[in-house]
Amino acid sequence: MPATFGSPAPTAALAITNLTKTFVGGRALNGVSFAIEAGEVHALLGENGSGKSTLIKVLSGYHKPDPGAEVLVNSAHLTFGVPHSSYEVGARFVHQDLGLIEDCSISDNLAFGPGFPTRVGTIREKTTRKRARLALEAMSLDLDPAMPIWRLSPAQKTGVAVARALIEDESAPVHLLVLDEPTARLPEHEVELLLAIVRRVRARGIGVLYVTHRLDEVFEIAQRATVLRDGVKVATEQVAGLTREKLLQQLLGAALEQAHRKSESDDRKGAPVLTVQGLASEALRDVNLDVHEHEIVGVAGITGSGRDALCATVFGARPHDAGTIQVNDQAITSRRPDLSMAAGVAYIPAERKLQGCFMDLTARENIGFTSLSTIWRFPTLRKGLEVLLAKQWFSKLGVRPSGGTEQPMATFSGGNQQKIIYGKWFQRQPSLYLLDEPTQGVDVGAKAELHQALFSAAEAGAAVLVSSSDVDELATICDRILVMRNGRIADVLVGERVSVHGITRAALDA
Amino acid sequence: MKLPRGLGFEKYSGVYLWIALIIAFSIWQPHYFPTMFTVHTVAADQATACMLALAVLVPIAAGQFDLSVGANANICTMTAILLINDGWAWPKAVVSAVVLGAVIGAVNGFFVVRLKVSSFITTLGTGSIITAFQIIITNNSQPMPPSIDSWNNFTQTLVGGFQIIVIYMFALAFIVWWLLQKTPFGRYLFAIGSSPEAARLSGARVGMYTWVSMIISGLIAGIAGAFYASYAGPSLTYGSSLLLPAFAAVFLGSTQIIPGRFNVWGTVLAIFVLATGVKGLQLATDAQWLAPMFSGTALVVAVAVALGRQRSAEERTRKRLARTDASQLPGSSDEPLLPQVDGVTVE
Repeated sequence: MPATFGSPAPTAALAITNLTKTFVGGRALNGVSFAIEAGEVHALLGENGSGKSTLIKVLSGYHKPDPGAEVLVNSAHLTFGVPHSSYEVGARFVHQDLGLIEDCSISDNLAFGPGFPTRVGTIREKTTRKRARLALEAMSLDLDPAMPIWRLSPAQKTGVAVARALIEDESAPVHLLVLDEPTARLPEHEVELLLAIVRRVRARGIGVLYVTHRLDEVFEIAQRATVLRDGVKVATEQVAGLTREKLLQQLLGAALEQAHRKSESDDRKGAPVLTVQGLASEALRDVNLDVHEHEIVGVAGITGSGRDALCATVFGARPHDAGTIQVNDQAITSRRPDLSMAAGVAYIPAERKLQGCFMDLTARENIGFTSLSTIWRFPTLRKGLEVLLAKQWFSKLGVRPSGGTEQPMATFSGGNQQKIIYGKWFQRQPSLYLLDEPTQGVDVGAKAELHQALFSAAEAGAAVLVSSSDVDELATICDRILVMRNGRIADVLVGERVSVHGITRAALDA
Repeated sequence: MKLPRGLGFEKYSGVYLWIALIIAFSIWQPHYFPTMFTVHTVAADQATACMLALAVLVPIAAGQFDLSVGANANICTMTAILLINDGWAWPKAVVSAVVLGAVIGAVNGFFVVRLKVSSFITTLGTGSIITAFQIIITNNSQPMPPSIDSWNNFTQTLVGGFQIIVIYMFALAFIVWWLLQKTPFGRYLFAIGSSPEAARLSGARVGMYTWVSMIISGLIAGIAGAFYASYAGPSLTYGSSLLLPAFAAVFLGSTQIIPGRFNVWGTVLAIFVLATGVKGLQLATDAQWLAPMFSGTALVVAVAVALGRQRSAEERTRKRLARTDASQLPGSSDEPLLPQVDGVTVE
């Protein structure tokens, strides 16, 4: 590829100048500028929280940036905060959630946006089919438009979503396609198919903003790459002539390494509490691990690595096909969370509002829920005791408002909800904690208090397994990190390597 | 905030409405309405409707509809009467009818829990199937009411002027209240109703509890049917006419006593408020369309009110949290926000 990109030309598919976005809690983007040429695939890289999603949401008209920013799509001004302006200037988006309707056919899905061709109000089936076939052919997808979406492979689905995004519209020709982590949920062997589709798009002279976590893909598909860190553009570079090492340095920065929790526990490591052997499921392949008393073990990995499935599978909330899970020498079977709890396991899921708690029950009822056998004495649940337990956890974990034990869960902030959920499980004094995204959507102060609570649990002898997409968090609290790639534990980090850089490198296999 | 909190308008608006209705009708119909006779007949006539509402209430706490309770109670009534006419001792017939009700509940539970058919669809269907069976066993002709004194006295004995079926109804309400509010079982049902997945991940056997709630629903419908057989005699169609009032009372009741939660005393209150309104208007105007109009309106309005209340509560919470967030914001971003973690990590 000739290195002609770089100098801003008037025909740039996308030109962002001085983009800043301030939220109540801080600045998500700070003076970001870069351009994408027509027919260029431009990779956008950055850690979680670096501002990638805010940038995409500004482009799609969801967020309104601070004054002073300018975004041009093919020289046309984007009016901020107006989604249809984004469409009119020719920007199209394929989000991680593809937004396809599984039960409907490909041709129906392709027609939902632009509308069905009709004659006196009746859908013209043949024309709909024909249009769909053309749109698929343009993506070199050899699929029958009558096929329902659920029968497609993940990459084919993404292909249909791309085809839908690029459907011709004379009043608003497409100049820019934004792909938000298109390969995050794809199995390895499907990635190539998707990259082929991206190449077809590029050949049509459309600029592609390709957001990804996978460095391999950057080198394979992109001409240039822009790296964001903490809302600031670190660099925009030609991919030709860029090394993995350099890219990684830009991603991570030279920020001071945070000292992690000292693993003095090595010498006083207790007996194994959790032993997993040969665990396999839809998302996991041959996973072996053990967690000891007093130990906090982290699970890291990019989306789709199996990280987010591990804790739920060990708890028995998700089925597994093979392998054994032992907690305190008791076998855990799948689909019976109540038995896992009886064996001494606590599980805090990532989806707090839907799976972690009962939003319309009171805080007291939420805390008491896993300890009902203690509270129950015939003929009633002892409300006094339950109130006492709730108050106790409110004060121990610093839940605010402190007198809110009788308020519904929905009236608490995210951080306080999470504390209440912790209280619910701490009350049982489990010997093993399984935590998915333990502080997601929690403010900084509450995060520290929750970490503190975990330390005390480990101090008291519990084993803790934490899966988190927040690398900072893992580096701060864990003694040992299991790094997952493609459903396997690909690396185990201890000592010096438990650091933000170490984890990110291992997760990206760099 | 506009209404004075101390008078409990939020929780007891139904009580105030009830009192207002009673006063209004007492003034409008001073000769017929404010009599003990009215009190006794309204109480006894509503006992069956109230028990059916309790049957609806138990599974709805766990988020499951039982639309078959009307048909279920009806077939249990006919079964009890046919068995007695066949020469069975009436206590045996009553027990058989109640068992039948519970079995119907278990079948509903099987479809809902094991085959994962939505409870709405399941009970809509089984309700129709039950009606079909009733036609088969009765030949669609009303049998003779059994003329056994002890059988009639079973529900019609007077206790302090009230027929004893009213006492049975309150006893049943008390048991259901205890079950839902005072036992782990009740707590599990409300948790499942709130979020089945969260309940499962917190160790509740969601399938089992859901199934049991359907069985209890059928059981209560069976009891209501058996009592009705003794109280009013055979009827081929009363069940379906009581279904909607039962649902109306349950939803209206969820805005009373413990607002935002399906609850026993709110449901009982709602039944009697609605019945008082209908009774008063009937005495005054003799119109036939009042009862269905009242129940239907109550059902829709109750759900609308409950949803509106929920929305405004969410809005209030959102605003309050936004306010506290803003006030907790650090003045400058380099202020240390992690004192505890620092204490641990900096050795």
